[in-house]
Amino acid sequence: MSLTGKHTYFEDFELGQVIRHARGKTMCENDNVGITLQVLNTADAHFDEHAMKDSFGRRLQFGGVTIAMIIGLSMQDTGENALQELGLNKIRLKTSVFHGDTLYAYTEVLSKQEVDSRSGEVTFKHWGTNQKDEIVFEGERRVLIKRKH
Amino acid sequence: MSEEDFRARAVLAVKGNKFEDFEDGQIYEHHWGRTITDSDNTWFSTQTLSFNPLYFNVAYAKTLGHDKMVVNPLLVFNTVFGMSVEDLSEGGGLFLGVDDCEFIQPLHVGDTLTARSTVVSKRISKSNTEAGIVTWFTEGHNQDGVKVVEFRRTNFVRFRDPQQGGE
Repeated sequence: MSLTGKHTYFEDFELGQVIRHARGKTMCENDNVGITLQVLNTADAHFDEHAMKDSFGRRLQFGGVTIAMIIGLSMQDTGENALQELGLNKIRLKTSVFHGDTLYAYTEVLSKQEVDSRSGEVTFKHWGTNQKDEIVFEGERRVLIKRKH
Repeated sequence: MSEEDFRARAVLAVKGNKFEDFEDGQIYEHHWGRTITDSDNTWFSTQTLSFNPLYFNVAYAKTLGHDKMVVNPLLVFNTVFGMSVEDLSEGGGLFLGVDDCEFIQPLHVGDTLTARSTVVSKRISKSNTEAGIVTWFTEGHNQDGVKVVEFRRTNFVRFRDPQQGGE
């Protein structure tokens, strides 16, 4: 029995391959308010709608939630067989996200190298878009992934 | 006893810092600390569709050599970030980006995170009269003092005195 997919091992990723991830996610209070407060983020722009009436007019999604959501939307296809997440870099939040926005994720394989008999390191570039096809997120991620035996 | 309404007598318990409060090299030891529980990790991972069973299947995590479930690194990052917010960015201003984030070693459920940050740089943005740009280096440690994550974060940070900003 295998609990994880057969096509997300180190050998399966090809340089330059670009993936459009199948699922989108509409952002809701559970996502933004829930995670913001779960992680002790005290900035009330993310959870006080009334305080936002003179600026954005509504609560702004915490960028940390957007980062986690875009990487999450890509996870089954890029990290289901990961042994370890190694790092993130060049993370940029390009457009503000609000409750009701729907996010989608894309991934390009930037580089890969064998590490040992069990694993290899892959560097991905991720993009996040919203329902208006605006780019809300981009960034790179390095992952240690199982090799096939 | 005052006859005045409580709202008229109340003094705001101000939170957060402004651009003028940061100096290069200044260190902040952030508040609270946070123990990551099983439910934190499972809920966060499933809520963000972070479908690697390392983060929600303890039997699977054991087959890969872990005694307990591995904490989702995005939860580690977000918790360390979250604890830094009151000192660094609650004063207002958009979060712009993160560079050089390294997950130095895995965290497991039941472990406790603490956070500290150092001011790396601050500068005035020509296009923004209300906020300047500040970069901090933030580090997260576990209960044994072992560093588990580090990253550089850049934000707009609101001026206390808007006169000093912009052109």
